[in-house]
Amino acid sequence: MRNKLKAFICVILPILLAYSLNTKFGDLPPLLKFLNPFTGFWQNAEKLNIRKTDKLVLKGTQQKVDVMFDDRMIPHIFAQNDHDVYFAQGYITAMHRLWQMDFQTRYAAGRLSEVVGKKAIELDRYQRRMGMVYGAEKSLEGMMADPKSSAMLNAYTEGINAYIHSLSKAQYPLEYKLLDFSPEDWTPLKCALLLKQMSAVLAMGSTEFYMTNILKKFGPEITSDLFPDYPFREDPIIPAGTKWDFKPLPVPQPPALFTNMTTANIRTKELEDGIGSNNWAVSGAKTISGYPILANDPHLNLTLPSIWYQIQLHAPGLNAYGVSLPGAPGITIGFNEKIAWGVTNVAADVLDYYQIEFKDNSHHQYKYNNKWKNTSSRLETIKIRGSRNEIDTVIYTHHGPVVYFQKPKKLAMADNVPTGNALRWIAHERSNELMTFYYLNRGKNYADYRKALTYYTAPAQNFVFASADNDIAITANGKFPLKWKDQGKFILDGTDPKNDWQGWIPAAQNPTVKNPERNFVSSANQSSTDQTYPYYINWEFSSYERGKRINDRLKVMTKATTDSIRIMQSDSYSIFAQNLLPALLAKVDPALLNATQKEALNMMGKWDKFYAAKAIGASIFELWSKRLFYDIWDDEFTIASIPMRYPSRDRTVELILKDPDSKWFDNVHTPAKENLNYLVNESFKYTCDSLERKFGPIGSTWAWANVKKTNVPHLANIPGFGSKTLMTGGGKSTIDALSESNGPSWRMVVELGKTPKGHGVYPGGQSGNPGSPFYDNMINTWADGKLYDLYLMSSPDDKKDKIISHLTISK
Amino acid sequence: MVFLVILIASFLLQFFLPWWVIVIISFATCGLIGKTGKVSLWHPFFAIIVLWAAMALFKSLPNDNILAARVANLFGLHFWWWTLLLSSLLGGFVAAISGYCGYHFRKAVLLKKPAA
Repeated sequence: MRNKLKAFICVILPILLAYSLNTKFGDLPPLLKFLNPFTGFWQNAEKLNIRKTDKLVLKGTQQKVDVMFDDRMIPHIFAQNDHDVYFAQGYITAMHRLWQMDFQTRYAAGRLSEVVGKKAIELDRYQRRMGMVYGAEKSLEGMMADPKSSAMLNAYTEGINAYIHSLSKAQYPLEYKLLDFSPEDWTPLKCALLLKQMSAVLAMGSTEFYMTNILKKFGPEITSDLFPDYPFREDPIIPAGTKWDFKPLPVPQPPALFTNMTTANIRTKELEDGIGSNNWAVSGAKTISGYPILANDPHLNLTLPSIWYQIQLHAPGLNAYGVSLPGAPGITIGFNEKIAWGVTNVAADVLDYYQIEFKDNSHHQYKYNNKWKNTSSRLETIKIRGSRNEIDTVIYTHHGPVVYFQKPKKLAMADNVPTGNALRWIAHERSNELMTFYYLNRGKNYADYRKALTYYTAPAQNFVFASADNDIAITANGKFPLKWKDQGKFILDGTDPKNDWQGWIPAAQNPTVKNPERNFVSSANQSSTDQTYPYYINWEFSSYERGKRINDRLKVMTKATTDSIRIMQSDSYSIFAQNLLPALLAKVDPALLNATQKEALNMMGKWDKFYAAKAIGASIFELWSKRLFYDIWDDEFTIASIPMRYPSRDRTVELILKDPDSKWFDNVHTPAKENLNYLVNESFKYTCDSLERKFGPIGSTWAWANVKKTNVPHLANIPGFGSKTLMTGGGKSTIDALSESNGPSWRMVVELGKTPKGHGVYPGGQSGNPGSPFYDNMINTWADGKLYDLYLMSSPDDKKDKIISHLTISK
Repeated sequence: MVFLVILIASFLLQFFLPWWVIVIISFATCGLIGKTGKVSLWHPFFAIIVLWAAMALFKSLPNDNILAARVANLFGLHFWWWTLLLSSLLGGFVAAISGYCGYHFRKAVLLKKPAA
């Protein structure tokens, strides 16, 4: 008996040990599955020596494909036909970025719980209930309906799958091993999901819930005073005074004001201002070469692996270089031999909430046009690792999905969603953005550019353009609903058909300008037009400061070169500080300050208003203005039971400069009567004290870079896989809009000419593998504000670029 | 002998089978030819340490240990070679327990009555 027990223990002990070291517990990876050198992470350590030539046989290709990798591991794909070029793009992108592509599309589709378990359930529900999958399915219909885009999408998908099927477990990207899951087959729907996620990042902003609460609390007069429909200071994208050479459609009539809103118990969230992007093009009249120069830097949340993937695509009729989104075929921002293009976000009002009146709690019917209309429902099955599947029912009206009947408690991104409301969102429309890039990649001139833009729906972008023919142009482009003015500034009454979207602004009438007199075009997410544009796009855009600085510099620029444009991209001068600081400094009373505060005041007086890495003034001003705005607005606009937002930066600056006796400066929570002077002094002292507490006595530790702590984290926030802290300047309201980990995700400057010269960099590297020398090799160049030369090779034998590896793919 | 058998078998079989095949190899080898408990504990231990460390270094050195350093960071360790120690010690430990259990399994099952 004793022996039997002993034998049993001897068998069971090794089994238990093997099992426990092969299983994921909570956030801990399956230890030996991850650590063993035969299939674990060690296998992902890439050799620093790259093989010079390599051959692959892939049945999915039709003819021979040459892929030349240059010394930054950027692939230059030379194919004989369209199918092969997108097949190879899919294969090569997956080779470098498979896990990222998989993870981002799972995120978009609300499928993270499948991988990480219960903790992602609220996020998954949110994604599903916002209609991400519904929208992606509609988009896919649009993409599949066109033979060109469906061929492109299918070839790309086949390429990705050819790579996935070639992998053994030991070759899985590192993060699969860490999070313990496996790649699954790619589908065209995943491409659509990825593009939806871009819409979610760029066009899901919405303040109508907050605005409606403000309207109810303060009434229409104060609301329109504090939240005006056009900013106090502006420098619109389409130069003011540009004539509109079209006959506009009649704008629909608004119904009576709707204020009968319900509110829920949730927190107020401060709006992030200054997130956006820059692009501009200067005409040959302003450059040394006599040809245009185009620049673009889209600002996004920075991650490793990088958001973008550089690539050159060469096939008959196609030779383009630029950045692509891993998971979508074609090049999104780039250039070819004749043209260059870039994008920034248009903050168009393309997301509206409709309050729905349901007949009863079954939610089967809702009131519309004085009749009861039927809802439909969509079942969302959420798989949860280590738990049973959850089926979430989402009710759809003709407007769109009813996002929440009851809000999740711990999901900040859901804060601005009103309960019981239906969501009408442009990303739910059938669309085919791929065709825009298909035609831009092959574009030769201005006419091709205009044609390409007509295919584009969302997220709306300011497409900047320059050509070797010496044309420059910019268009605020997307599918814009035809709305009455301010339709969607507040929550809309879902029972009244007058509140529905009444059609679309014709694509040809989107705000655009070609070769303006000032010889440059630019955008930085500010208002698209002056107030003469006949249609409503939105009542509020990003503040004008970055746009103003760009235009100020370009106005005086002559004999521009790549270098002058490059230096401009990392310009950190703050127009916001220029506008506000003199007024604030005049109000600080030195007699009330301690030694540190006096020293700080002295420094502020000398600060040149550049958010340089070493600038102490930038640290003080940033925190000071933030605290001051908080002091002004928080007492009125933060009420636990009524979620609201602050008035804009522009309106606040106007108030400080023009109306120093305004009643808003009083703190309503105190019996005393505060004024602007008091708030300026309080916030200044508060700022100095908190900097001193956090960074010690005033001195080099207060430097802006040290306070800001810019870094590029890993996409799934895995410690050790992100970048170190980077000592860089720049700030949200400056051209170099680099905050803690949001900023220029790609910087590109292209000089057009007989042969175009491209320059660019992004904060990361081509490879998504943390075990590759090409994972983060470009970060320092990016942080220094420098650019690499980008080579548009004309053939695989082109000696322009330094090629380190040649991959031949044959059938 | 035990050392060599485990080293070679583990090296070859891990190209096709998951890492936990070292548990079976150690158990079986010591169950069949492990002469003493001591041998059955230390031989598998060192065999796997040597094999795993060598394999890890074979992958990591041409990489300049970039990845090993990142993973060290992930586990809160300071130097890349701590990951090497962690991996191979943990592997060796599992093999040692398995070998020792294999030996004692044989003892328990094949225990003959002492000759009268």
